[in-house]
Parts: sequence; C-alpha cells; structure tokens
Amino acid sequence: MDIFNIIVLIIMIVGSVAAAASKNLLGSVIIFMVYSLMMAILWQRMNAPDLAITEAAVGAGITSILFIIALRKTKEIRK
Amino acid sequence: MKSSIIQNITNLILPFIQVFGIYVILFGHLSPGGGFAGGSILGASLILFRFVNGSDVADAKFKYHYLLRFACSALVLYGVMKGYVFASAFLGLHDVIGIGTPGTLLSGGFIMPLNVLVGLVVAITFYFIAVLFEEGELEHADLME
Repeated sequence: MDIFNIIVLIIMIVGSVAAAASKNLLGSVIIFMVYSLMMAILWQRMNAPDLAITEAAVGAGITSILFIIALRKTKEIRK
Repeated sequence: MKSSIIQNITNLILPFIQVFGIYVILFGHLSPGGGFAGGSILGASLILFRFVNGSDVADAKFKYHYLLRFACSALVLYGVMKGYVFASAFLGLHDVIGIGTPGTLLSGGFIMPLNVLVGLVVAITFYFIAVLFEEGELEHADLME
C-alpha cells in the first residue's frame, strides 16, 4: 500500500471522527460528503472503478441531499 | 432557489450530466458502471433540476403518473426478460437475440436492455425518494388524469 492511500485513509478517519463530534449539523453533513469522496478515491485506487462511480453518485450526492433536506425540514438551516 | 447564477450554470451543465449517465448505462457491459451507477447519476440530475428550478417547474416537466408508469413498466419488463434469460439458460433453449460482436456496443445478449431497465427504475426511484423527503407525500399522484 503506497503513501497516497495512507494519506486518504487518514483523511477518512479524521473526517469520520469530526463528523461525529461536530456541533454544527450542516458542517457535519459536509464533512460526511468529504468522507464519501475520499472513499470513492480509495475505491478507484484499489482498481474498483465501478464502486467508485456508485459511491460518488450515491454517497456524496444523494445521501447528502437527503441529509440537507432533512435539516431544512427541521429548520436547522435557512433556505 | 433564487440565485440566478446557480440556475443558469445548472441548466447549462445538466445535459452533460445526463449524457454521462446514459453513457454509463449503455456501456455498462463494456466498461465500469452499469444500471445502478448510471441510474443514480440520472436520478441525481433530476433531483438537481428540481432543487434549482423549483418544485412547480419540475412537477410540470416530470409528471408523477408518467414516471410511475415508466418505472412499473420497466420493472415488469425486467422481470419478464430476466426470467426468460434464466429459463433459456437452464433449459438450453435457442437465444433469440444472439450475442452480437464481442467488444462492440451491441454485444452481451440481454445485458444492455436489462441495464437500461434497471437504470430507468433506479433513476425514477431516487427522484421519488427525494420528492418524498421534501414534501412528505407524492402530491397529484393520482393515476387517473
């Protein structure tokens, strides 16, 4: 495993801890999006581009959109 | 959303996102991707259109009963075709389509039509999930009109 994969893994670990510990919910969602993008890069590095496409579309796109809609419905953020 | 910058830029890049999704679906048997990945890209583009242009424009453009009819027809057709593939492979029947030229777009027998059907179902289902989250229910969803 080369050094780039380890850097991406460290970003993922820091991001997941920060997403759980953050007080700001919108910031937490954005950090979770970064975590998903790093996961997609890692899938691509491990020669699984199929999973990378799906992770980038579902994890970083649709899941984050659903979280943001939920925050907007509970009046945590303004329009 | 009120910002005209976001509206114009999104309407500019939306066709490219959809072409990429259709490419991922159609070339699913030759390159990475497939029905689910391309369908999720198409569904994300539909959700983006709805968020940027407002729910009224999206409701006028993508009517619920048409989308529901598309999704259900694709699901039934998927079941029939997949069942035919399983049965013909099990019984050793003659394949009606043939396998085509390997390496070109028309190859792989039933894989490309099945990918197209899966992509249609996944795109419409993701759009419906986002609408359900946003509005709480599918309004104007009566199939009679």
